[in-house]
Amino acid sequence: MSLTLSQTSRPSSRRRKPPAWVADAPRFLILLVLAVCFLAPIYWMVSTSFKPESDAIATPIQWFPAHPTLENYTEIINSPDGKLLRWTLNSVLVALAFTFVHLTLCVLTAFPLARMKFRGRELWFWAILSSLMVPGIVTLIPSYIMMLQFNWIDTYHALIWPGVAGVFGVFLLRQFFVGIPFELEEAARLDGANSLQVIRFVILPLSVPALVSLGVFAFMGSWNNYVWPLYVATAPEMQTLPVGVTSFSQRYVTEYGKLMAGTAIAAIPVLIAYLVAQRYLISGIALSGMKE
Amino acid sequence: MSPAVNVKRSRTRTSWLMLNESNPLVPYLFLLPHAIFFLIFIVYPVGFGFYVSVHQWDLLSGQSPFVGLKYYVQIFDGSSPQNQFFWQTLLNTTFFTVLSVPLLVATALGLALLLYRPIFGQAIFRAIFFMPGILSVSVMGILWRWMFDNQSGLVNVIREQYFGQPIIQFLTTEGWAWVPIIIGTVWWTIGFNMTLYLAALGGISQSYYEAAQLDGAGPWGQFWHITLPLLAPTTLFIAVTTVLASFQLFGQTQVITNGGPTRSTQSVIQYITEEAFGNNQQSSAAAMAFVFGALMLVFTAFQFRLLAKDLRSSGKAG
Repeated sequence: MSLTLSQTSRPSSRRRKPPAWVADAPRFLILLVLAVCFLAPIYWMVSTSFKPESDAIATPIQWFPAHPTLENYTEIINSPDGKLLRWTLNSVLVALAFTFVHLTLCVLTAFPLARMKFRGRELWFWAILSSLMVPGIVTLIPSYIMMLQFNWIDTYHALIWPGVAGVFGVFLLRQFFVGIPFELEEAARLDGANSLQVIRFVILPLSVPALVSLGVFAFMGSWNNYVWPLYVATAPEMQTLPVGVTSFSQRYVTEYGKLMAGTAIAAIPVLIAYLVAQRYLISGIALSGMKE
Repeated sequence: MSPAVNVKRSRTRTSWLMLNESNPLVPYLFLLPHAIFFLIFIVYPVGFGFYVSVHQWDLLSGQSPFVGLKYYVQIFDGSSPQNQFFWQTLLNTTFFTVLSVPLLVATALGLALLLYRPIFGQAIFRAIFFMPGILSVSVMGILWRWMFDNQSGLVNVIREQYFGQPIIQFLTTEGWAWVPIIIGTVWWTIGFNMTLYLAALGGISQSYYEAAQLDGAGPWGQFWHITLPLLAPTTLFIAVTTVLASFQLFGQTQVITNGGPTRSTQSVIQYITEEAFGNNQQSSAAAMAFVFGALMLVFTAFQFRLLAKDLRSSGKAG
């Protein structure tokens, strides 16, 4: 990863003459200091998680664990009310199901909005968009009561279904689909393709960047969702990782070694996924916020 | 919306009963799956929420008599605790927004300016500055609670050990408690804004700068007269979305300070959820959510207008 990253910036720096390189040095140093500041909390989390409790709060600071140990990790994984593996499984299942359903719904609804002519198209699109004006808190309480009525509290249903009709994805994909040349679709139609086949063989292959970005957004959004699962999934075995981890912070209020071990377990898979997918994520944000 | 989208009637005879692509119902069939979820989980809850807010909802007894605007009046009635806490927490949230938004916009622009011209490790820096944003709010909150711990937090230990300063009880002192929340939030969310700025900076044609250089403009002149004006739409978009996100403040204060000390960092969303789930007053909380949503309309309507403008400029189908 880092190899390909540095390759992209190398040609330009090689082309520069030494004076330009020297002129870049202060900027580079500022960036380096900032980067260290940004990474410090994460380093401190990992470092604390490998320290015995006495070392975690020891003065002077132990920048590096003097007596590295895994006891925090074994303790936190075996913690009586800590179901880290179960929470991780819940989070993965919910995020995967959510992402799949959300993408499917968004594609199906963005396609006619972008590329078909029918009565009410504009009206429906604006109706969908105007729901962006409703803050989440307005629907939180009624949605919670609905979950009670559906008997969905502490089930995967409550964690997956209520968010799948998010409208930002519809907006993003609709904008992307509009830009795909109509000649390609016409050619497919002449070959006898129906709308589903047009989506499958023309639209989707050309929309991979948008789909991947939206998919990463959806996955991250579900994975990190906090407010909703906090209230609809309270049983220990139904909690998701972000909610479960905060229950540690009540149990181990001042035992920071264990707290950081739990936090690290929650954070590190996400950080690794990020390193793999960060290009899509970052280009997706640029895509969504692009203004003329 | 525009003349380009007039619905043209097909010349060929179409029937709603035809089992092929020319059936005029086909587009609606595509819309249906999303529409079902949209209506059930987004549209219906808004109406149901209003229904709840004008009744005295009781989850336990199931008896929910109609009470009219009682819970709305209560929010504006100076003698009720709901009145006191709703406006106090709204003020807290506004305070947070006023402090954090300029920071989140200006520092994001600063980072983007440092980063948008090629430099060794550019992509790695960009990835690092964005990285905190992918952590969940609970991870971020626990992390910053530890960084600012009253006794052995890294900030206090460094202050004491390297600068000989006394310890500050950040988490439990009114006023200071905002410091970990705001610094944590900046650390956590700045990457989004930076990325938007980087994309916008990349879109500025180099020829503007070349022309300015010919006219003798220095780096500052170029920044004030070219970069900043051309970034104005991006800045507007970022500012509006950041204001809206800041008013949604919930997880940071919940995890870092739990709203304390004495509600001084409790956000309005946090108070509404406390009223709904802690005090079991769903109706009162639903009414507050509507009042809050109405106040937010100032910003959300503005965001909607920006979006609509963007749609019109980006061409239409058909």
